[in-house]
Amino acid sequence: MRMIAGAQVIAQVTEPVRRRFGVTVAAAVALFVTQALSAPAGFADTLDTEIDRLKADVADLSQTLYELEEEVLYPADTQVAVFLTLKDREGLELDTVELYLDDTPVASHLYTERERSSLKRGGVQRLYIGNLPHGTHQLKAVLTARSANERFVRRAVTHDFRKRPGESRIQMTLDARAPDFEPVVSFQEWK
Amino acid sequence: MMALRLRLVACIGSMVLALAGMPVHANAEGDAGSQLLGGLAKFALDSGDPAAALRYTRNLPTEAGQLARARAMMATGSGNVARELLEQLLTGQYYRGQAALLLAELADSRGEPENVRKYLETAAKLANGDARQQALYRLAEIHREAGETDRAGQVLASMEPGYWSALGYMNIAADYGKRDLNPSRALVALRVALAMSEKDSDSRRSDELKSRLLIRAGHLAHKHEDHDKAISFLEKVPLESYSTPQGLYLHGLALSASGNHRAAMQSWHRAKKYPLAYPGVANAWLGTGRGYDLSGYLGQAGEAYLAANASFESERVTLRKLADQIRSKGAYQALVRDARDSNAEWFLADSRTLTQPRTAYLLRFMEQPDAQNAVKRVAELEQIDQQFAQREDSLEVFRRAIRERLESAKTSAAAGNHFNEEIEALSGRINTLNERATSVARQEALRGAALTLADLKMSLGKLERRLAARGQYLNELLTRTSEALERVRGIRSRALRLRNDAEKTLDEIALAYVEEQDHRMAFALDRTEQQIAHLYEYLALQNIERGEP
Repeated sequence: MRMIAGAQVIAQVTEPVRRRFGVTVAAAVALFVTQALSAPAGFADTLDTEIDRLKADVADLSQTLYELEEEVLYPADTQVAVFLTLKDREGLELDTVELYLDDTPVASHLYTERERSSLKRGGVQRLYIGNLPHGTHQLKAVLTARSANERFVRRAVTHDFRKRPGESRIQMTLDARAPDFEPVVSFQEWK
Repeated sequence: MMALRLRLVACIGSMVLALAGMPVHANAEGDAGSQLLGGLAKFALDSGDPAAALRYTRNLPTEAGQLARARAMMATGSGNVARELLEQLLTGQYYRGQAALLLAELADSRGEPENVRKYLETAAKLANGDARQQALYRLAEIHREAGETDRAGQVLASMEPGYWSALGYMNIAADYGKRDLNPSRALVALRVALAMSEKDSDSRRSDELKSRLLIRAGHLAHKHEDHDKAISFLEKVPLESYSTPQGLYLHGLALSASGNHRAAMQSWHRAKKYPLAYPGVANAWLGTGRGYDLSGYLGQAGEAYLAANASFESERVTLRKLADQIRSKGAYQALVRDARDSNAEWFLADSRTLTQPRTAYLLRFMEQPDAQNAVKRVAELEQIDQQFAQREDSLEVFRRAIRERLESAKTSAAAGNHFNEEIEALSGRINTLNERATSVARQEALRGAALTLADLKMSLGKLERRLAARGQYLNELLTRTSEALERVRGIRSRALRLRNDAEKTLDEIALAYVEEQDHRMAFALDRTEQQIAHLYEYLALQNIERGEP
């Protein structure tokens, strides 16, 4: 009887403890479940933050590498760069451009929809950067495009220029006006 | 001979210049220069090279340059710097609206709803064109998500017709469709959305949105048993759109409900040509059997159900194989790269890609925002790794070349004197020839040659100084190259670690998606089996009635 009573006392003492233990376990399980459920989102956020940090470092390093390359591979005195812009933005859908310097092919580009739309919105593309000796040279551009009146056109244009000391920048401007939408390329040299 | 010599001197001159090249930085001088750099930054940003855009806009004082720089900063994960630039633009002259819209985007990514609203309101007031429409659309969405459909409608009513207003009306129609017992408000909103999308200047985007709107309208009309209206909407869904299979299935459903089983089955037959990944295709397989059943062709109904059964079984095998490939090769390779490397020729791509099962699963998978983010992460990290692998190789070669050049740095300065003598001799010959040249063309040619020689002489004048500083310059270059190489390797190892994590996340999402698709197929399979059982039961009962064994 005493033992039973003792057992009852123990039972009385342990019941709240058990209940509390049960509550604690339940809370721990709930916490674990909550954490497990929110873990993928949290992990993805951390990953995104780390990727953002990496992208910032990549951009910073790209600047350094670009400066190094420009300085070494294209010294100012021999540097020539060719740029492309569109003047009439609706007249032509540019497909490809090929560039020749003194009859040597130096660059070619096949345009994507995004690039075409960027050019139409005033974007400028650097088609080529390289080195040339001082003196006279010939730049030839061959372009293929679809004009606004549904014609496929292929045109070749040439431009003679003199490479002088210092950076040379040549801007090619493409125009195609109504009604015939005939492509016209003009060249402008910058120092 | 003369021309040959001139060319030789010119070549030697340029080589010497290239060897001893000293740093010269491009900077933005004047308006034309700024315009050129601004245009270059714009093109770089649009063609996915934000690092180049940062380079072009480094010293660009114009507001357009600042805006391009802020966009490039956002793309390269430097949100804080971008925010500062945009705050400045907000008090500027030309790009206040666009800056406010970008600030709203930044605030959204940081979970600041109050700021999002504030900046969107500013953008709606100050921006023009597409930026203003986008800001208004997002404001309407904020109202709609808060349950204020009327206020959302008021905002949409103030918008110009086009893509953004069409999207807004489509979302409002979805809300009306869920809430109202009568579909008329939702259908009116969808009709308005259709009219708005007509004005979208991007024809491909407009066509795609129109298909979705027609599907929604058709589905809504069919759900409310207005089958003729449903048919009229669904007939307009173009056959080459992403929504075509679903449209064909719903078209068949509406035809079948109006009693035209034969025409319904024609639509379902066409839907069956598409991969089972697309919504509606599995149901079109089931519908064909049901159509035969309702038309009284029980034998053909049985065959159709058996064919559907076989098709679903085979799809489950495909899905199991896809899951195995995801586990062994990773989801990026199995889903994205392998789908990209399919043998579809580019000129057939538009019509064939929709019928490739793997591409179909990829497209469906990529409809989920989580999947889009997961694939984007892996793709970006892969691009960084590829880009820097090339740079690492170049820098290695470059470092070797500098070391070799340092070894042989003891070139004689007498070379310069030799060239000077040669240039003097050639100038003398040009002078002599000038006296004899009578035609204008010859005189012009000689003047050009004299100009080139003068340029060369000037460059040669700088050569002595450059040669003296050459050793120090090359050593400095070597240090910079080695430092850059270390940084490139560091970036590559970080990119690799992050890519492993990103791929793991993508694999988990992709496997869950494939499992979900497998459940969908299992459910469809279960339904065909039930239909076959019903059919056999019916036939057996008929046989009993006829007294046949």
